[in-house]
Amino acid sequence: MTELLYFDHAASAPRRDEVADAMERWQHGVVGNPSGSHRAARDARRAVEEARDEVAAFVGAKPGGVIFTAGGTESCHLAVVGATLAHRATHSRSVIVTSRVEHDAVLDAARFAAEQFEGVEHRFIDVDADGVVDLESLRGVLDPDVAVVSVMTVNNETGVCQPLDGVSSVTMGTVPGGVSTHSDAVAAAPWLFLPAVTATIDLISICAHKIGGPVNAGALIMRRDVPLIGVVPGGGQERGRRGGTLDVAACVGLAAAVRLTHKELVDVNDRVIDFQHKLCAALSFLPGCAITAPGSRKVPGTVHVTFEGLASDEILFLLDQEGVCASAASSCSSGAAVTSHVLAAMGVPLERARGSLRLSMGPETTDEDVDRLVAVLSSVIYRLHAEASA
Amino acid sequence: MSGGVDSSVAAGLLGEQGHDVVGATLKLWGGVSDSGCCSVADVDDARRVAQTLGIDHHVFNYTDEFNRHVVDPFVRAHLQGTSPNPCIECNRHIKFDVLFERARRLGFDAVATGHHAQVLVRDGVHELARGADESKDQSYVLGYLHEDQLAQLLLPIGAMNKNEVRVHAQRLGLRTWDKPDSQDVCFIEASKGREAFLRQRVALTSAKIVDRASGEVIGETEAAELMTVGQRRGVLPGRDGRKRYVSRVDVAEGLVEVGVLEDVLQSRLGLDESSLSFTHDALVEGDEVLAQWSAHGRAVPATVVREPSWALTLRAPARPVAPGQTVVMYRVDEPSIVVGAAIVARP
Repeated sequence: MTELLYFDHAASAPRRDEVADAMERWQHGVVGNPSGSHRAARDARRAVEEARDEVAAFVGAKPGGVIFTAGGTESCHLAVVGATLAHRATHSRSVIVTSRVEHDAVLDAARFAAEQFEGVEHRFIDVDADGVVDLESLRGVLDPDVAVVSVMTVNNETGVCQPLDGVSSVTMGTVPGGVSTHSDAVAAAPWLFLPAVTATIDLISICAHKIGGPVNAGALIMRRDVPLIGVVPGGGQERGRRGGTLDVAACVGLAAAVRLTHKELVDVNDRVIDFQHKLCAALSFLPGCAITAPGSRKVPGTVHVTFEGLASDEILFLLDQEGVCASAASSCSSGAAVTSHVLAAMGVPLERARGSLRLSMGPETTDEDVDRLVAVLSSVIYRLHAEASA
Repeated sequence: MSGGVDSSVAAGLLGEQGHDVVGATLKLWGGVSDSGCCSVADVDDARRVAQTLGIDHHVFNYTDEFNRHVVDPFVRAHLQGTSPNPCIECNRHIKFDVLFERARRLGFDAVATGHHAQVLVRDGVHELARGADESKDQSYVLGYLHEDQLAQLLLPIGAMNKNEVRVHAQRLGLRTWDKPDSQDVCFIEASKGREAFLRQRVALTSAKIVDRASGEVIGETEAAELMTVGQRRGVLPGRDGRKRYVSRVDVAEGLVEVGVLEDVLQSRLGLDESSLSFTHDALVEGDEVLAQWSAHGRAVPATVVREPSWALTLRAPARPVAPGQTVVMYRVDEPSIVVGAAIVARP
């Protein structure tokens, strides 16, 4: 069996042993319902509230602002749809503003609200060729009807960081009384100090499985008490903002993941940024290779490139044969690679976008992994070029 | 692997024969579909079958190529009043062109499909033959394949009938074993039909329906593009009460010409020269073939004409054949062997 070379941390990061250990206690035998009143329930509730404290600290918010969810998509949906519903309760028109390069979790939530609720409209903020939101474009779509502005902290495909301070400042300066702001910080969480970079944002989404935690565990964190109507009222849990019995193991797993991520943040950044530089330098010598968004600030873990004249499907297939797990970063529900809406918004020509490759790293990545990846990828790219001209 | 039983069994049998098999499902149509082989549910079926068989499975996205080579030409052809066969175009341009090329680049020795047809190797020469199950035979939709393509093609279920295929599927524990056959064009919603599909994309032309013998206008249609040469359904009988067949569709003129059977029968089938394709060498003037112009139509005796332009002379006059249709030619001495294919030219 070929040894696995895992370069798809941005899709799902390896589960950390510490996370699995922390969850262990809550995956066997009696696990009380945290809403109950007996001792088993109290034990469970204490674990949940301790987890809540850690998640709050990770983002720099108050524990009361943490809403546990079943992952990033739900968190984004709750933020976008919940804020819109709350706005709509007091307004005849509600506008959702998102960048064009948001994850589908946000784009589809906005589309859903615009399609399903009368008086709701979805407007887009353009990005420049480097994938950074254009603040002038943001200014252009703002008006007093805006319910929520959602701009991701870091793009999940390209790793490009967005100017959230600028977004907040334009929003506050343009709409009297301000507007609720949301940021999908799922791709940022492994790399950035969220209390600082999301300091001006009201609602922040994170999830556990991009930072070594379990899937189906995430949170929407309210930094300020903005109007929000829960989309699953259920049994009134999470202060009525997200019904349903809390999964203690998931909350504990998320907390363990944020604790580790925070503890190692500087070290991991330090180490992986060298890998990013090494990888970019090596890839830029490959025929037809272009580093995506070379001019923008990116998180260290992501290297996104395009290969002119090659197809992602074929690159990924041959990499997979050699044990390398990587991604084209955009796929449809069937699992096929599709042309990325992110690259399209950046004006990357279709011919280039078809040859996309995202290599994403994490705390487990080693220098040796990077060397082996470069060797395998080089041979794959040269082989495909040779075959194409054969 | 379409997610259907035929390609599932094809993959399973090749694995049992000791081949190193990788499953590939082509994502072809990006739009809404309820009928064909591109839905997420079908991809899920294909993936699950691959898991059951213990082989790797990949989904390849060819939606751009499919639009360019199949869907767009399908729409354009209707605007010209011709009737293309999108499944044949898909085989020609997608499965046996871009997928073959990809397979070669990725280091595969062969591509296998679940078509009901056979590749025969005789004295080192590859021939395409009809599938053993006459009612399922798909050699018609593969008629354009050249010998060099046949040399790279495996059709593991071509020698079986459908029942045997399903028995194998059950034996292999495949969840698709009793899945119904797909019959329809994958990008057209069965519940809405071709008309709705075309109307979403282009404006259709209303036309007068004219009797070719009398010149009399006997009716109207809202969409000349939907009338197919040879069709009788939807055409009202003339004043004499006799059935009328469409003999000509002129979208630009807004004219659909119809006639009684004996007036519209044709014994010459013009062939579009640019579309001609032969398994081996080109046919010559006077060669006898069996010609078939629909997927499950009858193959009828015909003679090849090359001057002044390519055509087939039919021994028995036939109902008119729509321009744009593919005619596949089979050997007279061995009626199951394909010799070539061509698109029926506009008169």
